[in-house]
Formats: sequence, C-alpha cells, structure tokens
Amino acid sequence: MLARHIVHLVLREPRRTIAGATGVAIGAALLVSVVLFGVASGATLTGRALRDLPVDGQAVLAATADPATADQLLAADPAVRRTLPFTLVHFDTASAVTAGAATQTSTGVVVGIDAQYTAETGLFATSSGTRAPGQVAVGRDLATNLGITPGDTVTFALPGGGTTDLQVSGIVDISGADLVLGPTDAAHRAAGANPPTNVAVTDLATANRVASSIPAGTIAMPPTPAPTGTGGSSVAVSDEPAVRHELQVQYDHAQLPGNPLDAQHWLDAVRRRIERVAAGTFTLVDDAAASLEPIATDLAWGQILFVFLALPGVGIALALSRFAAESSADATRRHAALLRARGATSRESWIVSIGAVGLTSLLGASAGALVGFGLGYVAFGAELQAAGTSVVLPTIAAIVASALLAVIAAISQLRQQLGGEVAESRMELRRAHEPLWQRLYLDIVALIAAAAVWWAIGGTGVHPVLNAEGNPTVTLAVTSFLPTLLLWTGGTLFLLRIVSALIARGMSLPSLLRRLFGPGGEVAGHAIRSRIAATSRAIVLLGLAVSLAASVLIFSATYAQQQRVDAELTLGADLRATPTAPADATAVNAAMGPGVAAATSFVDRVVYVGSEAQDLLAIDPATLPSVTPLADSFFQGATAAASLNALQSQPDAILVSAETAHDYSLVAGDRVRIRIPDATGTLRDVDFRMAGVALEFPTAPKDAFLVANLDYVASSTANPAISYVLARQSTPDARSLLSDRLGPGWTVADITTTSARLANSVTSVDIGALVALDLGFALLIATIGTGLFLLAGLSERRRELATLRAIGASPQHMRAAVAAEATVVGLAGAIIGFLTGGALGLALLAVLAGIFDPPADLPAIPWIALAGFLAAIVAGLALAVVVGASAIARIGVLAALRER
Amino acid sequence: MTPLIECRSVSRRFTTPGAAPVLAVSNVDLIVGPGEFVAIEGPSGSGKTTLLGLLAGIDRPDEGTVSVLGHDVARLTEPERCALRRRRIGIVFQSFGLLAALSVFDNVALPLTLDGVDPVDRPLRVRAALDEVGLSARETSRIDELSGGERQRVGVARALVNDPRLLLADEPTGSLDEANGAAVLDLLVDASRSHGATLVLVTHDPASVARADRGYRMRDGRLTTEVA
Repeated sequence: MLARHIVHLVLREPRRTIAGATGVAIGAALLVSVVLFGVASGATLTGRALRDLPVDGQAVLAATADPATADQLLAADPAVRRTLPFTLVHFDTASAVTAGAATQTSTGVVVGIDAQYTAETGLFATSSGTRAPGQVAVGRDLATNLGITPGDTVTFALPGGGTTDLQVSGIVDISGADLVLGPTDAAHRAAGANPPTNVAVTDLATANRVASSIPAGTIAMPPTPAPTGTGGSSVAVSDEPAVRHELQVQYDHAQLPGNPLDAQHWLDAVRRRIERVAAGTFTLVDDAAASLEPIATDLAWGQILFVFLALPGVGIALALSRFAAESSADATRRHAALLRARGATSRESWIVSIGAVGLTSLLGASAGALVGFGLGYVAFGAELQAAGTSVVLPTIAAIVASALLAVIAAISQLRQQLGGEVAESRMELRRAHEPLWQRLYLDIVALIAAAAVWWAIGGTGVHPVLNAEGNPTVTLAVTSFLPTLLLWTGGTLFLLRIVSALIARGMSLPSLLRRLFGPGGEVAGHAIRSRIAATSRAIVLLGLAVSLAASVLIFSATYAQQQRVDAELTLGADLRATPTAPADATAVNAAMGPGVAAATSFVDRVVYVGSEAQDLLAIDPATLPSVTPLADSFFQGATAAASLNALQSQPDAILVSAETAHDYSLVAGDRVRIRIPDATGTLRDVDFRMAGVALEFPTAPKDAFLVANLDYVASSTANPAISYVLARQSTPDARSLLSDRLGPGWTVADITTTSARLANSVTSVDIGALVALDLGFALLIATIGTGLFLLAGLSERRRELATLRAIGASPQHMRAAVAAEATVVGLAGAIIGFLTGGALGLALLAVLAGIFDPPADLPAIPWIALAGFLAAIVAGLALAVVVGASAIARIGVLAALRER
Repeated sequence: MTPLIECRSVSRRFTTPGAAPVLAVSNVDLIVGPGEFVAIEGPSGSGKTTLLGLLAGIDRPDEGTVSVLGHDVARLTEPERCALRRRRIGIVFQSFGLLAALSVFDNVALPLTLDGVDPVDRPLRVRAALDEVGLSARETSRIDELSGGERQRVGVARALVNDPRLLLADEPTGSLDEANGAAVLDLLVDASRSHGATLVLVTHDPASVARADRGYRMRDGRLTTEVA
C-alpha cells in the first residue's frame, strides 16, 4: 500500500521528480566520470611505468643451465612475448694509450647483445661510429674517462687476472640501461647500488668469448668510488658474480590489468608460474613488478587530483539535489497533508516521502551513471579499455554513494518540510535568521585556520625524496591541501557574508534594480531582500561552481604552460625535423612553407673539451631567435640578444656552460680548443674564443654543453651536416604538413608528442579530460542551480506572482523581475566564484610548485577560457530566465489567487 | 449614459484533458453604469470569480464581448490589459493578495511602482490611500504584523491608490469575521462613492448584496436573478 503511494507520488509530481532526479543525476554523473578518471589514471600510470621499461624481467641463468632449455621454458609461458639473450662481463679496469699518454679507469662492464636487442629494447643506440662484430662501442663516460675515439683500442683487465684487447668502433648511448647494467639481486637493489658507468657494448659471441676467459665462480671487484662529476658508484657491491648470462623477458602487455596493484598481482602470478617450472634453471628478476611499486605515490597524486579537482564538484552537485528538493517543497507538503487527511499516520507519511525521495534518487543516480559512463568513455576510452574489469566495482560504488548521499541530503530537507507543514509554509513571512555559520563566524575561523596551517607547513606540499631504487621522486603531504580547502570554503562564505550584508542593509537594491530593469527590477529587489536565505544559497552554489571552474582553469593552464616550457626546452622549438640520412643547411629552405612560420638549422654533436665529451650546439644566430624563444635568464651576465649577437658578429665565439667555465676557469676572451668530428668521424681541433656563459639552451642537456656558430663549425670541420631543422609552427597541423613536405627521409616531432614523452610519472595523469569534465559540470550546476533558485522562488511565490499579474504587472515586468533576480545571483556568484577560485588556484599552484620543472614563476591566467566560461554562465542564466519567465506566463492567475 | 461595463452573451469554458469541458460562465449579459455598486452573489464554483476575471481583463471570453471602460477586452493586447488594470481598475482579493516581503507602504505603492511612477511622487498618493483606510500609522509595518482586517484594508488602499474608475472585489469579507467584514464593506462602499468609482462585488454573503444598488445571483455560470 505504502509502496503504491511512493510510486504514485513519484509519478504524480513529475516536476518534483525531475527536479530532484536532475540534481542527483548530475552528482552521480560527475562521481562516475571522476571514478572512471581514477581508474583510467591507474591504467595510464601502469602503462607509462612499463612503457619506459626496456625489459619486464631478467632470467639470470644458473652456472650449469642450458640457455636453449631456459629459452624454451620461458617461451612456453603464455605471458611471455619475447626473450632476449644478454651477457654481462665485469672488468676490473679499462685502459688505453692515446696520443702517447696512457689512461686507465676503474671497474665497468662489457655487455653482449644480439643484433635485435637495440631495436626491441631501445637500449645502446649508437650515437657515433658503428657497432662491429668483434669490436666494442663504448659509452660516453668510458670514452671520456679514457679519452678514446673510434679506432682506438681498449685493454680490459678481467676478474681472475686475464686481459683482453678490443678495438673501439663507436660511441653508444647507455641512458635508460641502468636496469640491465645494475645488479639483479634484491639486496643490492634495496641498498641503492648504482649501475656501472664504464660500459662497453659488443656482440654476444665476443662477450661470451671474454666471459669464457674468466674462471667460473669469480666475483667481480667492488667498484672504487668515482671522482666527483663522473657519476660513479660509491656503494660496495660484494658477491656480484663477474659474469652474468641472462635471458631478458618482455611480457605481452595486452594481458596486464590496468590498475597498478592488480598488475602487480598479475606479474607476481606469472613469476611464480615460471619459477615453478624452471626451478634450478634460472632466477627470474621481476623488473616490471618492481617498477610498479613506486607508483603508489603517483596513485596518491591521482587521488589528490581527484579530491581537489573533482570531489568539490560532487559536493556541489549534491547541494544542487538539496536545492532541487527545496524547489519542490510545496508539492511535498501538499502530498503529506493529503495523506494525513486520508488517515495516514505521521510515520506513514514520512515513509512515503522518504521512499519517494529514495526512488527519485535511485532514478537520478542511474540516469547520471549512464551519462557519467558515456562521458568517461568519451574522455578516457583508451585507458579504460586497458583497465578492463577493474572499472565495474568502483562504478557501482559511485552510483550507490551518490544515491545514498542524495537521500541523506534530502532527508534533512524533508524534516524541515514535514516538521511543521503549516508553520513552514509561512516561512517567508517570518523574519529570516542569519544562518548558523554566520552567527558562529565559521568563515572567519576557516580563513584563520587556513593561514595557520599554511604557515605551519611552510606553504608547500611537494617534497622530493629518494625511493628505494635511489631515484628522485616526489611525495605529497595530504595535510598540505587543508589550507586550500579551508580557503575555498572560508573565502566563499566570507564573501557571501559581505554580499548578503550589502543586499540586506548596505545598499538600495530595489532602487538600483529599478534603474537597470525598470519597475519589474524594483519589485525583484524587494523580493531578493525578503528571500535573503534562499538568495544566499543560490549565490553560494553558483559561487562554488564558478570557483571550482576558475581554480581548475588556472591550475590546468599553468600545468600546460610548464609542460610546454619543458617540452620547448627539450625539443628546441615547436617542431624538430631530424634527417635519417645526412642533410645540410639547405634543408631549411625545404622546411619553409605552409604551417611553418620560421625555421633554422641546428647541429648537436658530441665533441671533446680536453678528454671530456660534451654536446656542441651549433646554431644560426640570425634565424634561431625567430624560431624559439630565448629568455635572458638562459644566459649569465648578458641578454639573449647580446649573446646571439656575439656569436653572429664573431664567428669563432663560443658560449660555454657554467660548469665548463668553472671547471676550466674560463673567462670571456679565453681561447678554447675543441675536438670536433668531421664528416668521416675524425676529430679535428677547432679554436674558439669564449664569449659568455649559457645556463640553459634549447635542446641542451642539464649539465655541460657548448653553443657556437654553425657556419664556423661547418667550415672548420668541412662537415656541413646538420642534426635537425627546428621550426616554429603557424598552424595546428604543422607537423603533418612539414613531414609531408620533407618526405620519408625525415622524422618530425612536435611539442605535443614531446610533452607526452616528457611527462614524468607524477604529471603523467592526463588532467585535460578531468578539467573538461569539471568545467562542464560546473557550468551545468551553475545554470541548473540558478534555474532552480528562480523556479523554487516561483513555486513559493505563486500566489504573489498571480497577485502582481492581477494588479497590472505585464509579462515584460515579470521577465524583468526574473532577469533582475538572476543578475543579482549571477553577478554575486560570479564575483565570489572568480575571487575565491583565483585564490584557490594560486594556493594549489603554491602547494604543487615542486612538481613543475622548470618551476612556474607566474601562474598562467587563461583569460580567454575564463571569459568563455563567464559567457557560458551568462548564457546559462539567460536560459534560466527564459524558462522562469515562461513558467510565470503559464501561471493560472485566477486559480493561483484562490489557492491557500 | 455610456455604461462602464457591458457584457454581451459572455461565455467562458475550461477544458481539462480527459474530462468534460466546464462552462464556468454561460451566456452572461451585464451592463453596469458609472458609479454604480453591483453585487453578484452565488455559491462556490458558480462562476463569480471567473466573471470578475473577465471584467478585470485577466481572462478573455470564449464567446461574447466584454467591454470595460470603453475597451473591448478581447481586442486589447496583454500589455494593454495590464496597463488598464494598473491605471483604471482596483482589485480587492479574498485572501488579501499582499506581498509578504514588502512593507505596508510598498504594498500599497505596487500599482504605482509597476506603472513607473517616480519614487518621489509616490508617498503623497500612498499616504492618501492609507489615510482613507485608516492605516496611516502602519505604513512601515510588515504584513505579518497586521491583523486580518488590517491586511484587507491595506488591500483596499492598494486598490484605491491609482484612483480607479472601477473597483472589483472578490469576496473581500470572506476571510474576515463579521465585524471586520462589515467594516471592510463599509470602507469599500464609501471609497467607491468618494472616488466616483463603480464597484462590482462578488460574494456569497446575501447581506452584502443588500447594500448594493443592484444585486445578481449566479448559479452554474449563469447570472440568473436580479435582486431588488
């Protein structure tokens, strides 16, 4: 019987049902889409952590193991995609005789890999020279330490007393190879043992031949601490075998769950399965699982983003559902009165009302979940596919949570509505009391608390720390976000206090609105004053929605700005075209055309200052400034223009890094002799004159580098080859246009791809889609909230509005009145929202300053986006006014006048 | 003498989906001259208020013509009918029709406010109207501070503030006790006389009809009997 009444109440009052369900639906849609964001973030983090991993596992073969058998065992597992043989031989010293001088290094390793290894893992790419069978390609540190170049011979002293001589065929890049070069056992890794810096790479056969000259069971010599600046290890590596034969494993990542924790469990299961069948053959080192461990911090970051960029939106959406309940308060009271008149007890009346609210909330939550699903899949579809079934449980939890929260919010409203039907119906006739927070000055308390907590924690929440592998990462103190939360709520309420005081006492609102909107505005001014509580709620709702949007916009704009700065510095410009075959500076002419505003040729070559290898950046000083922005802060003691002018006016001028200037005690005017490879790879001595110090430069590494005039370098070395063409784009599709123009012999990279590659694990969370969701929902909440405020006002004042019509208020008067109310709410809400949102955005940036590299000097204020959002709010309010005026026009004046 | 109100064969029906049409006003003929006091008596649902709504231009007839103050109401646009009510017609409601948000003064001033009368010019006219109903001392009071009788007197003052040619009263005593009802009726009759306004009163109270120059009974939408 009661169930029938519940269904009847829901169906009988469609306006009430739709209003209530809409608020809950928005909350549920936001919650579900944000939960999907969380799931997608997890999948992104997992994917990124494993994408940068050259191999997922290292099967370290037992001394007596047969490599072919071990390979079969591994290949038989369904999770294994590929195995790669790998031999690592430690040496005690490496020495060479160059230019009549003998040099020697400390310990290092010779690595043996097959021909496919580099293509499959991306490791040990040749940066100059070649890799030839029977010879070694050495890492840059080893080349620098020994002062060797291709063609020289290195003598490796091996553990056990043997030696072997190998000719150098090239230089290889050992970046990213720490994992495979370092010790494999957990104890060493946990101790933070660093990988060797002296590395030579050769073919498998040569490495195995070298390994065979070391007696079985020989232990590698612990490395000696390396001199400062060479990056050597200072950690004792006892009991590391001198020779290590491995089969490195790559898994089928398509089988991996998206959630990092689930992925870890999956990897553990694979490892246990393989170890079960391979007992005694090898020990499997699970690099993939180890790489997922630090992600816990990044997951926390994702959750904090969730808290600060999305949860406030969910809270506001639920406030909206309460607002919606208020808009249908009359209907609830009428139905309750009807039930009691028909003999229902107070308890039964309650049950029916709560049941109706519950059913409405469930309908709203279900509809919202569907919308949230749709939005989530549009925004994060690819990541969610990777996440697999891990989407289901959080989504169900989000639906239930939003429905429950909506019911709880509505129950408090029902208590007011049903607590005294008659008295409450005359609520607007009573003198309004100040709300509790205003009487207790909670806004002031919150602001003081924000300042106190801010002071106590030192104003930032991000701290660099070293994780177990010794790599720098960041931690976020959740308590650091407390000031921003307190600032948000306290600031909003404080500004509301001021606005309310102005409306109620400080200014002649009716008079002002009469001037702006005519007689209808004056009537609205009186109505706003009399409905100050409801007006305040609408202003708060709108203010919170706007502040959420403003803070999110400021944060995301700064986030994007810093990513772009980082990417520009790394890439060198908007676009970088790299030739796959030698090209000269005339390629710039070919690069110019549609999509490219300016282009310049650029050389990045490994050169030698003394025995130290450095990057020489040879540029065209006349055209580079038109391609990429050069800040004065990049140069020490001179402006960017002066520094480039020096390179142009004095062709043999050279800018050196601060580190080089310090190490070699260089001052402006000093002669610097540098060995630069010519077209054949032969090093030639070229003299320069020191012209200044460059602290940063496009494409330059963080440490030592040199900047010189490209024409001078080319003519001095008879080597016109350029490394790439840098270009400034003029259209969004510039990358494809340039790529088409240059043809298949060039690889073109742009800022977008570089930003994505650069994003570290912390900033790898794609906040773009979350920002879009936040903005969309903030707009929706602001519009619907104001609309509900107006409609609730119409519902409450139905008879008063009918009276106004009866005594001669025209439709124009009524439209003006609605527009005036919407303007007051909109203006006050927007002012509060933008002020608190701006402050919140700045506070959030201060808290998160540590994650930006380089740090942001100033926040990016996205004026156009903010103006666009404001315009959208205005459009939304205009829509609400049209709907409100239309509702007034539909009021049956005679019938409304007879209502009691 | 030109009649102030002239209704010819006026009918108004309401349709509700799924229900038979209701003929609220059926073929009514009514002519009222300037300064006359006409009362229409009838039970609830007889169509009195609907007829009053047609006379006020709040509603339009389905059939027939309603001419008020020389205007065929059906031919006027909505803004013109609103302006007519603001400037030439005063309406008194059974449930007072006051805006709780406004003070006594602001309630009485509403027709002037809506008509765009300069705020400087309003006090004189509002105070005159309040003086006429005996509430000069209460102009700053809130509506919820007044008794029922006082509220209705505010309603009368608001109806008089624009110096109307026509006063329409919809059961003005229906929410009041006998003494207050009689006082308000006296007030309305006296005010209409002093302003030279025509008064049309709908009521279910036969005693009120007795005070009128002419009285009618209304049953099932028809104006049936002229009471002597």
